[in-house]
Amino acid sequence: MSDSAETEYLDIPEMDHDGWADYVEAQGWTDGLPLVPPTEASVARMMDGARGDNEPFPAITPRLLIPTLRSLAANAVMAGCRPSYFPAVLAALRGVLVADYNLHGTLATTHSCAPMAMVNGPLRQELNINCGTNCFGQGWRANAAIGRALQLILLNIGGGKPAVMDRSTFGSPAKYTFCFGENEEESPFEPYHVRNGFRADESVVTVMSAEPNHNLNDHGSTTGLGLLTTFAGGIATPTANTISAKGPYFIVLGPEHAATLARDNWTVKKIQDFLYDKARVPLAWISKENQARYEEAGHFPENDAFRVAPTPDDIHVAVAGGPGKHSAWIPSFGGTAAISIRVKPPAA
Amino acid sequence: MVIATETFRPLVLAQAKARKLEPHLIVVKHPVGGLNAEELKERIDAAFEGLKVEMKG
Amino acid sequence: MRIVNPTYGIAPQGEGSATAGPVDWMNDPIVLFSNNKPNAKELLLGVRDRLSSIRRVDNVDYIAKGSASQPAPPEMLNEVVRKYRIALLALGD
Repeated sequence: MSDSAETEYLDIPEMDHDGWADYVEAQGWTDGLPLVPPTEASVARMMDGARGDNEPFPAITPRLLIPTLRSLAANAVMAGCRPSYFPAVLAALRGVLVADYNLHGTLATTHSCAPMAMVNGPLRQELNINCGTNCFGQGWRANAAIGRALQLILLNIGGGKPAVMDRSTFGSPAKYTFCFGENEEESPFEPYHVRNGFRADESVVTVMSAEPNHNLNDHGSTTGLGLLTTFAGGIATPTANTISAKGPYFIVLGPEHAATLARDNWTVKKIQDFLYDKARVPLAWISKENQARYEEAGHFPENDAFRVAPTPDDIHVAVAGGPGKHSAWIPSFGGTAAISIRVKPPAA
Repeated sequence: MVIATETFRPLVLAQAKARKLEPHLIVVKHPVGGLNAEELKERIDAAFEGLKVEMKG
Repeated sequence: MRIVNPTYGIAPQGEGSATAGPVDWMNDPIVLFSNNKPNAKELLLGVRDRLSSIRRVDNVDYIAKGSASQPAPPEMLNEVVRKYRIALLALGD
């Protein structure tokens, strides 16, 4: 990637598709996949999708440059966004730029975290964001392009270049894109954003620096208590960063599991309290050296086990996915926060 | 002055460049974490030798 | 063809380069600043042990930023800047 950021426009030779693919690879602009050329016209159309959003952005670490709406739009174009996606991309970006998200730490770490973005509200349907079957997977342009645009912005304007600034030991597939919608229509609970103070008719993007989803398979349990017992066991692992109980995690309930929990009168609050109490890692699973580290950092075991969440409120409950007896656990980087930002609709 | 392992040298330099700093950098072999006391001694010796060079200017 | 530069950004105002003044390596106070990663403390304290053979170390202090994954609190950094002329940081890993 060029360190010269002084030129807002670049005049480059005419080139065919293959030439362009080689060019962006040489520039270090790509996540590895081909990019759409950010021509003046396509970028102008993208910017029109955020018409009226004049709130300035802070500098993006580690390069510490302030983005312009135009350079942000260029990355959204390259990612394959429609202009209608752009407000969601900007909301996700504003979220990761909130100090508590700890963008610098999440970009430079050896951990495999990626910026997860969950969308709530009417925008999910307007943009055809997949909230149901295969919602963490491939096949939906909005899911793919919104998450990808955020990552390209962090790469190209932020400077989070893999193997230079991004020191992740393994990385993860979620670093290409990690965007989904809450399945509000099949959730027995209030939508996530409404529980967090937003109106139901507002669209909200919630970001968290996260590992990809870990599957919570439970075909056998027939009660809410049975399901939560299984989930607590799945979450209680000594190898996720949650072992330090420094940050949030998401539990994304599949609609069938959510229905069973609601039938048995499990509220979101009760689910949080149960998992906070029961998801503990026994001392026998943790090396003496690590026990000493955690205690030195002020994290002490209770009843011969370490909790994995700082408080019940750090356990974020949502509903997504389609039919099947599966839920998902999404552990965070640890030193991060779940940040919700209202999507600004374009001015009329 | 920063003590970093060779693996993290590019990270230090990239961050310093963004901040317009010229870091005094002491590079030791990677890794540091996970070493026992005997292995770590080599890293400490290397860091100290690097520091002495810096001290002499 | 003409494209929009996807790396374009504006440097914040007032961000000048920082330069350190001269230091007295034999007498100035030194802070050993740990990033809380495993063995960072042992590495830094090992360096202090060896430093004792060539300079005073009663003003060579060790501090840790608190969490390996989060930035050091601004007040901690301000205190370091106020009290010390030299900082030795363990970074990465």
